[in-house]
Amino acid sequence: MTVTELPVKKARTKKPVKVHTTLVIGAGFIGLGTAIKLREAGIDDLVILERADRVGGTWRDASYPGAACDIPSQLYSFSFAKNPGWSRAYSPSAEILEHIEELAERFDLVKDIQFNTAVTKLEFDKREARWEVTAGRKKFYARTVVVASGPLSDASLPNITGIEDFEGAKVLSARWDNDYDFAGKSIAVIGTGASAIQIIPELVKVAGSVKVFQRTPGWVMPRLDVETPEIAKAVFEKLPVAQQVTRSALFLAHEAAATGLVWNTPITSLIQQIGKLHIRMTVKDKWLRRQLTPEFRAGCKRMLMSSDYYPALQADNCKLITWPIAKITPKGLQTCDALQHEVDAIVFATGYDVHLGGPPYPITGLDGQLLQEEWSGHPEAYKSASAHGYPNLFFTCGPNSGPGHNSLLVYAQGQIEYAVSGIRAIVEQDLRWIDVKKDVQDSYNVSMQKRLRSTTWMSGCSSWYLTEDGFNASMYPGFATQYLRQMQDFRIRDYEVASNAATRLWNIPRDLAAV
Amino acid sequence: MTMDMEEMLAKIKDRQWALADIDWDAPGVELISEDFKPKLKAFMADLCWIENVGARGFAAMAKKAPNPTIAEIYRYFHAEEQRHANAELALLKRWGMLEEGEIPEPNVNIRMAIEWLDTYADDMPLSVLGTVIPMLEVALDGALLKFLLEEVHDPVCHQVFEKINNDESRHIAVDFEVLDMIGHAKARKLAIDFVSNLASPGLIIGGLMYLPLLNRMRNNIVDMGLQPEKLYAAMNRFEKLGRRGEFTHRVPLFQVLRVHSKMVVDSEHPYHLLANSLVWASEFYPRALFRPIPTWFKELTHEPVTKGVKNGMNAA
Repeated sequence: MTVTELPVKKARTKKPVKVHTTLVIGAGFIGLGTAIKLREAGIDDLVILERADRVGGTWRDASYPGAACDIPSQLYSFSFAKNPGWSRAYSPSAEILEHIEELAERFDLVKDIQFNTAVTKLEFDKREARWEVTAGRKKFYARTVVVASGPLSDASLPNITGIEDFEGAKVLSARWDNDYDFAGKSIAVIGTGASAIQIIPELVKVAGSVKVFQRTPGWVMPRLDVETPEIAKAVFEKLPVAQQVTRSALFLAHEAAATGLVWNTPITSLIQQIGKLHIRMTVKDKWLRRQLTPEFRAGCKRMLMSSDYYPALQADNCKLITWPIAKITPKGLQTCDALQHEVDAIVFATGYDVHLGGPPYPITGLDGQLLQEEWSGHPEAYKSASAHGYPNLFFTCGPNSGPGHNSLLVYAQGQIEYAVSGIRAIVEQDLRWIDVKKDVQDSYNVSMQKRLRSTTWMSGCSSWYLTEDGFNASMYPGFATQYLRQMQDFRIRDYEVASNAATRLWNIPRDLAAV
Repeated sequence: MTMDMEEMLAKIKDRQWALADIDWDAPGVELISEDFKPKLKAFMADLCWIENVGARGFAAMAKKAPNPTIAEIYRYFHAEEQRHANAELALLKRWGMLEEGEIPEPNVNIRMAIEWLDTYADDMPLSVLGTVIPMLEVALDGALLKFLLEEVHDPVCHQVFEKINNDESRHIAVDFEVLDMIGHAKARKLAIDFVSNLASPGLIIGGLMYLPLLNRMRNNIVDMGLQPEKLYAAMNRFEKLGRRGEFTHRVPLFQVLRVHSKMVVDSEHPYHLLANSLVWASEFYPRALFRPIPTWFKELTHEPVTKGVKNGMNAA
C-alpha cells in the first residue's frame, strides 16, 4: 500500500525549529535594555529583531539639526547602565545614539541581533505554546516575546491637500534628509511641537528665510542646557554614587512637577505662569506674544523645553504664520489669508504616527483574535505590559504607560523589570504560558480611567495622547514612583497559567492545559 | 434647526481661494472715473480696515468658542477677514490708488475700534462678542459691499466681491447659529453676564466707540451718494436673522442692539444728535493718545505671492 505512505514521509522530514526563550522586537534603547536585564537574569537564549541595519531606534532616525532629549541626560539612561560622560545637561541625539551603540558593545548584544529584519506578523501557536514571529520570509519562534518597537518609530507625511504636487524638497523631521543643503534657501516649517522647536533655531542660523506655520502653540519652558564640566564627568566616572545622587535629585525634582503636570491643580496654573513669564521676557511684540500663548492647561499636551525657540522666531529671517494652511501648491503653501508662500523646501515637523492601537504589525492571540482589532477603539492592558488573550507577550510603552513629567526611560526600566520577572516565572516554573486574567485587567483599567479624570491630559485639549473619541490609553495617571512600584510587583496570581507539568501529569491535550 | 458645524468647517476648508486666483491686470480699471477715485479710495480704505477689525474680532471669538469645532471655524474666519482686507488692498493697488509700500490710514473711529479690540476684546465674554460681531458683519460689511457693487463697474471688483460675499454668507450663518446657542443658556446666566459686563469699562468704552463708528460710516456713505436706506435695510437684516433663531431673542445685548438699530435707521430720531456729536467729538481726540497700531496690521498685503521674509515683518 503506497497510497498512505506519502503524508507519513512528509511528517518525518519536517525540520525541528529553533525556539528561543525570548524574542525582543527592536534594538533601540528599550530593546537593548531588555536584553541586558534578561542576560543578567540568566536568560541567554534570546534573539533581537531589528528592522534597520544598526541599533539606536528613534535616536538613530532622529538626525534632524538640533535633535536632543528634553529630559536631563542624567535621567535619560538606564540606572543599570549609566553614562558618566554626557557632554551636556541635555544631550544631542548623536551622543544618545553613541551611548546606545556603546551599550550594545559593552554588553556584547550585537551577536544576538538580527539586523534588517522587520517584523510583519506575530501569531501565538496554542498547541506548541510559542510565538511564531514572521519577518518577511523569515520565521522565528520563541516562548516569550517582548515588544520594544517603540511608540515613536514611524512617521509619515501629513495629509494636506496638494502635498503631492509640491516641486521643492519635502523633509520629514523624523526622517531627516541629511543631504539637503538648507543654506540660503527659503524654508517652510509646518508644526511647532517638540521636534520643530529644536529644528527652527538651527534652520534660522543657515537658511535664507524660515516661515513657521503654527496651528496650536505649546507651553515652552526655558531649558538650561549647559556643558557638563570636566570635573563632574571625572567625578561621575570615579564615584558612581555621585552620579546616582545627581540622578535621584533630578528624579525627585521631576516627580514634584507631577503635581502640576499630571494632575490639573493650582500648581498647573503656576507652571502656566512660568510659561507666560518666559514669553513675556523673551518676546517683544504683544501680538506675537498672544500668538504664542497656549490656550490649554500646561501638561495637557507634551511640554516643550527650549530657550532658543522664541529668540529664533524673532530673528530677521524668520516669521511665525498662524493662518491656517489652505493647501500646498507646486511652489509652496497657500494660507487662508489668500497668500501664496513660495519656498524651496517644506519641513514637516508634524511628529510621529503614534501607535495607540497597537504595534504596526498584526498580533494574533490565543484564540485567533487580532490585537489591533481589540485595541482599535480603546486599547487596554494590565499594568501596560500584558494583554488578556496574548500570553507570554510583554509590551514596553504599552497602554497607559506614558509619563507626562518624567523620563520615559525611567518608566521603560519598570516595564523591562516586569517583563523579565514574567519571563523568569515562565522559565523557572516551566510554564507553557501565562495569560493575564480578564477580570484583573478590567478592574485595573477601570481604576486607570477613574484616576485619569483629574489629570491635565483630560482637561479639554486635543492631543496625540488621546484617541479620536477622547479616550486616554496612553498616559499613566500617577507619579513615576507609583508606576515603578506596580511594575516591580509581578504577581503570578493575576495570570491564568498553563503548565507543562500539568500537561505531563494528566496527559491532557496541550491546548487545553490552562488551569 | 441646528447647523452641523463639522460639515460647515469642511465646507469652509473646501472653499478657500487666493489672491493669485484673480487676474489683477485684467481690463476694467478705466471704468472708474478720475473724480470718483479719491472718494473710492477713502471708502475702500475704511472697508479694508473694517475687515481688519472683523478679523481681530474673530481672533478674540476663537478663544471663547463654545466647542473646538467652532473655535477652528473662527480661526478660519479670522484668516478670511484678513483675506478680504488683502483683496481690497489689492483692488486699491489695481486702481492705482496706492503709492509703493503705502497702507491706507484708518479713520479716527476705526483707530478707536482697533485700540478697543486690542485692549478689551480678548476679555469679553462670548455673549458680547457673539452679538456685536454679527451686527458689524451684517450692517457694515453688508451695506458697504452692496454700495460698492452698485457704484463700481470694474469686473475684477465684482469677481472679488462675489468671492467675499460667499465667504461672508458662511460667516453670517455661523454667527447667528452661535448667537442662538448663546441664547440657549440659562436666563440667570444671561442676565448676570449682561449686567456684569454693562458695568465694565470694556463695554462702556466699547459702546462709546461703536456709536460714532456706525454713524461715521452712515454719514460717509450718504456723502458718497448712497441712500441711507441701504444701510438701514442691512441693519434690519440683523433683527430678521436674529428672529429666525429659536433662542436668540433671549440674549439681552441682542435686544439692545436691535433697539439701537431701530434708532439708527430712523433718521429723525434724536439719537442722531448724540451719535453725530460723538462723531464730531472724536475728531478732536488727540492722536498722540493712540498707542501704536498693533503689529497685526503688518499682515495686510496686496501681494499675492511672497517669498522669503521681509525686513520688519518677523514680529507681525
